[in-house]
Amino acid sequence: MDDPIRQGLARGWKHIDAATLSKDEQYEADIVIVGTGAGGGLAAEILTQAGFSVIMLEHGALNSSSDFKQQERWAYPHLYQDGAGRKTKDQGIAILQGRTVGGSTTVNWTTSIRTPKNTLGYWREHFGLDFSGDNSLEPFFDLASGRLNISQWHMSPNLNNLALKNGCEKLGWQYTIIHRNVNGCANLGLCGMGCPINAKQSMLVTTIPTALDGGATLISRISARNFEWQGDKIQALHAVPVDEHYQPRQGVNITVKARHYIAAGGAINTPALLLRSKVPNPSGRLGKHTYLHPSLISGALFAEPINGHAGAPQSVYSDQFVWPESDNMGFKLEVPPVHPVLMATKLIGMAEQHAHLMKQFNNLQVMIALLRDGFAEQAQGGTVELDSNGEPQLDYPLTDYLFAGAREALLAMAELQFAAGAKAVMPIHADGQLYKSWPEAKAAIMALPMAIYRTTLASAHVMGGCNMAMDASKGVVDMQGRHHQLKNLSVFDGSTLPTSLGANPQLTIYGLVWRNSTLLANWLHGNQ
Amino acid sequence: MNRRQFIMTSLGTGLGLSLGITLYPVVTATKASQLTAAEMVFDAFLPALLMGALPADNQLAQQQLLATRKAAIEFLPFLPLTQQQQLSQLFLLLEQELTRLALTGNWLSLNELPVQTRLGLLSAWRDSYLALLQQAYCGLRELLFAAYYGQPPHWAALNYQAVEFNRYG
Repeated sequence: MDDPIRQGLARGWKHIDAATLSKDEQYEADIVIVGTGAGGGLAAEILTQAGFSVIMLEHGALNSSSDFKQQERWAYPHLYQDGAGRKTKDQGIAILQGRTVGGSTTVNWTTSIRTPKNTLGYWREHFGLDFSGDNSLEPFFDLASGRLNISQWHMSPNLNNLALKNGCEKLGWQYTIIHRNVNGCANLGLCGMGCPINAKQSMLVTTIPTALDGGATLISRISARNFEWQGDKIQALHAVPVDEHYQPRQGVNITVKARHYIAAGGAINTPALLLRSKVPNPSGRLGKHTYLHPSLISGALFAEPINGHAGAPQSVYSDQFVWPESDNMGFKLEVPPVHPVLMATKLIGMAEQHAHLMKQFNNLQVMIALLRDGFAEQAQGGTVELDSNGEPQLDYPLTDYLFAGAREALLAMAELQFAAGAKAVMPIHADGQLYKSWPEAKAAIMALPMAIYRTTLASAHVMGGCNMAMDASKGVVDMQGRHHQLKNLSVFDGSTLPTSLGANPQLTIYGLVWRNSTLLANWLHGNQ
Repeated sequence: MNRRQFIMTSLGTGLGLSLGITLYPVVTATKASQLTAAEMVFDAFLPALLMGALPADNQLAQQQLLATRKAAIEFLPFLPLTQQQQLSQLFLLLEQELTRLALTGNWLSLNELPVQTRLGLLSAWRDSYLALLQQAYCGLRELLFAAYYGQPPHWAALNYQAVEFNRYG
């Protein structure tokens, strides 16, 4: 099978594995990009094609389809932040984020959704961000869709997704067939472990190869530690290699100098880099208002096999409850892929109870509800802090308002699963049980104590922490992702989002970054 | 017999009585001084946590326990350093707690602590009002289940097969 990464390396791509460096090094380019995910990867292609010399830095390793092992025990330590063990400070929410070349786009589930109009409206009203008319993101969504082959999934949903569709049809609830960024997808269901056939149009196999073919340099297994800055300009970026477990390694110092710096390490690592750098922060919002789409999980047992591990992981969603008329917290309904580790760690109970559920693994249908945080006063997200090692911790308080939304989400999922034909439904909650009818489940869920550690919460979408706002007193960057105080710094990742989205974030990031990279290229050309 | 061998032999006997099977003692060349608190804690809780999932064959069950412990230990360095430091302290505390429980419960040592008591201890942590113990329950459970179900030999009961493009290991 063709491996575009190995072929590119054989052609002479400039790739440096920082973990192999044994002495201090200094590099220089027009533009340095920290992070190679949806933001960094796309910016690298656009800026290289605009004629700039570009260096990309990535904390993770350069893994390709020849390296991906189709087992969670390999994928999580090697492709995910903290071995997929990242959690909020009080460990109330588990967080999945990619950490490999291509970032989360290498391991995500390919769901591609344009920024909801309600979200854009909220940004306009509260942050002065008007993405309409000449500033519309639609042309950039079109460009990204063309570049990454984003189109509606044409195959039948797998049975895990089909249950979501069937339940919605039965109840008269809204649902949508998902658009995915794939080309030649074989419907394997392995997206979360890196696509073994390069069908997923991640940054790894699209924009990053183009940038490297255009002369860009990629430095992998490197941890950006801090920006050195003076006045309104960054003068250098200081970094260190990482060891085999991706821990920052002391003893070798790497300095990168550039005309312009782009932070694109994701919505926890980018605020952490800026906090370590002690950059100006007059708005006080750096690292604040970090959103997660905290997600509830509901399991259901079906009489027939569901095989939720096979087939496109996400192909149907429901927005029935995302924008409620009440002030309650909205939530989006989707399904996750069902692989053994992901399931075993989330299923309730232990010993016989847990083993019994695992033995029905193939008959498990699983649903998730993503809470839309960042809109109500009672859901203002979390704060990125630095621990004693200078590494980020996200302090995300779980409020009564959030738990009220969580209960509604568990109720909706149970109702939907029974409507879809489930024999029993089990909210993923320490006090949850298998319930055999919707009335029984409803009564039980209404009585569940909604509290941290008892209610299982997870996230695969991290947003905010360097929010954009027209007014420098309300945000860290402007509408173009440019830092309000440091003139040669841009932030091109999900950290710029002023709220969560109510939708999976990758296409929003592509649209914003396509727009902002183009504007940056024009500005840099005009200022040479 | 060194400390590790003693404890694992005892665990094997104690758990064997509770499970109705014999868990073979672990015979390794590891010196007692090299035994970590993490290994002690994993050894104590794995057979309880995995009750119902482990195969009936004693020798196979023992192999799976060892493989799971090894996988859990190998995973720890991927966690952030601060979390690793916190876990080290936690494992020390838990090891002491286990030993204390064994001694105050009129058992001669940890080896005689019945499986139900170990499960009771985990349940008590889960339901504790102390956040630290609740975190210990959630973290330990997640780590050990991931270590167990990450391994293809343990998927027999699940009827799950991973499509293999590139060989692991």
